[in-house]
Amino acid sequence: MVPVDQILSLKGFKFPGGSKRIEHWENWLLTDCTDSGQLPSNLVHPIALFHIPIQGVDTSISELFKLGMVEGAGSVGLEGYDWEYFLPLYEDIDYRFEGEVIDVERIQTESGGIFDRFVFRIELTNDEGELVSRVTNSWRFWRKR
Amino acid sequence: MSDLEEYLDREVPRLIIEQVDANKMKTMAAILRDPYPVHWDKKANATLGLDGRVINQGPLNLSYIANMLIAWQGPSCIKRLQARFLKPVLDGETVVATGKVVEIIEPEAGRVRVQIWLSRGDDVVLEGEAEIEISN
Repeated sequence: MVPVDQILSLKGFKFPGGSKRIEHWENWLLTDCTDSGQLPSNLVHPIALFHIPIQGVDTSISELFKLGMVEGAGSVGLEGYDWEYFLPLYEDIDYRFEGEVIDVERIQTESGGIFDRFVFRIELTNDEGELVSRVTNSWRFWRKR
Repeated sequence: MSDLEEYLDREVPRLIIEQVDANKMKTMAAILRDPYPVHWDKKANATLGLDGRVINQGPLNLSYIANMLIAWQGPSCIKRLQARFLKPVLDGETVVATGKVVEIIEPEAGRVRVQIWLSRGDDVVLEGEAEIEISN
């Protein structure tokens, strides 16, 4: 099992950060996956706040799994999201992304399972420095089922 | 909005996803650059007792809630989504997105809190709250 000190040391880890634009084709396919019609006025589907911030801070789901030292089916679970939308998000505009791991905690379940709660927060700003969105995601890295 | 009180305890029109589609999970995995095989490799889930099935991405489960809210109050109505994931949803399953207005939180901005949940039969698989700006 991953030593608890090693996983707890991830608290405060800052992602590289960067900028990213959501292109039309990506938003179109993403929206289609949700079984929705396309949104008007080049609006980005709200569910883009899952992967766009992760890619925007210059990391990836794969890198996050490596950071959390997990692999294989059943090793990762979603716990919860808190996504705040301060301004509309549009296609083909560059946004700036910054984020960090804000909490890590080892949890033992009543049935004897063990997982590490991994919580990270990412903020999106526009070129005027206005806060557009903020996401806080909580994942579970399972150590023992 | 002066008549915001009328929305209290009102249910949001439900959205039914008749059949969660494994092919959409594959496209979604590619968009997300998601290496987790439980969403696209049916054999990967044998160790979980789900051989031959794939697990829908959490964001897709939440998207059904988002689509329900957008159909109700427009494409920019969502100001906050808080969700807790309780159970996995598998390909081929039918899920229902539901919401209910439980609180007026900013009368001047027309903002309300909506209790949200996604269910499969009697099972709630996702629950949470949304902050919505009322425009209709």
